[in-house]
Amino acid sequence: MTNNQPLIQVRNLDLYFGAFHALKNVSVDFHAGELVGLVGDNGAGKTTLIRVLCGIHTPTSGEVFFDGRKIVKFHPKLAIDQGIETIQQSVGLCDNLSIARNFYLGREPVKRFLGVPFLDFSRMRDMSTKVIRQFGLRDNVSADDEVERLSGGERQSVKIGRAVEFKNRVVIMDEPTNHLSVREREHVNELAVQLKEQGLLVIYITHDIFQVHKLADRIVIMENGEKVADAMTDSMSAEELEEVIRQGGRVIEKQEAV
Amino acid sequence: MKQLVRSQGLGAIIGVAVMLAAFTLIDFSGWWTIQTLANVTQFTAILAFVAIGQALVIMTREIDLSVGSVYGLAGVAFITLEPALGVPGSFLVAMAMAAFVGVLQGVAVVKGQLPSMIVTLGGLFAVRGVIYVWTGGAIHNFSADARLHPLTRLFGGELLGIEAAIFWLVFVAGLLSVVLWRMPFGNRLLATGGSRESAESRGVRTDRVKIWAFVLCSLLAGFAGILTLCNQPQTHVTLGENMELEAIAAAVIGGCLLSGGRGSILGAILGALIVVSFRYELIALGAPSSWYITFVGAVLIVAVIFNQKLARFLGHSV
Repeated sequence: MTNNQPLIQVRNLDLYFGAFHALKNVSVDFHAGELVGLVGDNGAGKTTLIRVLCGIHTPTSGEVFFDGRKIVKFHPKLAIDQGIETIQQSVGLCDNLSIARNFYLGREPVKRFLGVPFLDFSRMRDMSTKVIRQFGLRDNVSADDEVERLSGGERQSVKIGRAVEFKNRVVIMDEPTNHLSVREREHVNELAVQLKEQGLLVIYITHDIFQVHKLADRIVIMENGEKVADAMTDSMSAEELEEVIRQGGRVIEKQEAV
Repeated sequence: MKQLVRSQGLGAIIGVAVMLAAFTLIDFSGWWTIQTLANVTQFTAILAFVAIGQALVIMTREIDLSVGSVYGLAGVAFITLEPALGVPGSFLVAMAMAAFVGVLQGVAVVKGQLPSMIVTLGGLFAVRGVIYVWTGGAIHNFSADARLHPLTRLFGGELLGIEAAIFWLVFVAGLLSVVLWRMPFGNRLLATGGSRESAESRGVRTDRVKIWAFVLCSLLAGFAGILTLCNQPQTHVTLGENMELEAIAAAVIGGCLLSGGRGSILGAILGALIVVSFRYELIALGAPSSWYITFVGAVLIVAVIFNQKLARFLGHSV
């Protein structure tokens, strides 16, 4: 474990949606240069937790620190400005826009003419074309095609390619290998490791403990909105961690008590 | 051409072509006269301003039912405030009032998370009520001086026999097309309508985008009201009544999808041309004027079906 200050520190986070207690007193640290697997069953609160980190949800109580500074306002724009790139499961691409327009949505490159910002289409096209070729999208897909025409895997590839291209300080991947073929999945996993090696914090969310155990330095398990385990991958095997998930976290609490 | 197909204006172009062919066959000598064309294009220009604003709002997946009343309010304000403020002053105040209504509605929709249909329906009634109270039902006129003011001439006069409103339309529509298709704001506006959640997750301030769309819509409606009154400086309390419906019809005929994210400024103009032409031609042919709205309804439904088939044919999922 690195001893320096955590890049993201979550302290006693609670989040309610109306009466529903979605996150219960979650505290977790994430360090730069770390690949953390965030694992749990459906409805465990993994996605909710990262939706707080990427600014979509504002916590009901508790604190989030980024790089030592306390986050006061939560908005995706602020998270992106801080350097947090998130690949979300169901959102992130607008069907009605071309790949190139989606790629730079929210931070469009501009050419200024008399101070007026005009979209820099050639740059948008070049960069997104590069990425769609790297990810091996069909040859007849061009950067000008609307996202609507893409398959699930191709959409995922565009989202991942975009996050990697803008890699900043943190890349959060929510079920990144859903819809992907075996080859694409390997590519994504390699990218996750590469990003970590470049010193970024990578948070990798998945159901599949066995897959992420091979990649991650550390595994955080969530259940029912609570963090139930937080272990280095070299201290617990995938089988042991799977057992924790199966038990719904109760075992680990007993173990801690002993 | 590719841009055109994508921007949904294609259906309206075909519609205009069919309509012109039909009118030529039915009423060649009545339709193709300077007088008819001048009237049709003038009214089209006015409605097109309102329809363009409506199209922008529909593209963000909202709707603005208040435009007819805002059109009336800006017009009434422009005329009634003129003695006190002068033509430029009353112009600015009238536009500011329109913008204010837009901000108010936009904020209510976005911050209050209310359906825009309801908020702007409230706006429609509330603003119309203000017009009634303000004018007391009386008719106001511009003084002879105000009619000759350069600004009045600039908005309501003509150049080379073409009404000023048409030049303004070309200018404003060109400007907004550039904003919509060539500038970051346009990209964000289309994204907001296409998928608000996705746009938000990319850091787009979709709430601000929507408020801007409502403000632009109200400003365009207000500007249309002022253009009308510069041309014919006389107010009446029903000024702009039912215009919201014509504007929505024009935007939808022009290819705007109510599901958001798709639409066209050129389409809205052509949609306005279709609506106005039908009104004019039906009256010219001696049909009872009340039939006109029936025809607009029929054209609207046919246009929606046609646009949807066209969109599916082009591979869009609608």
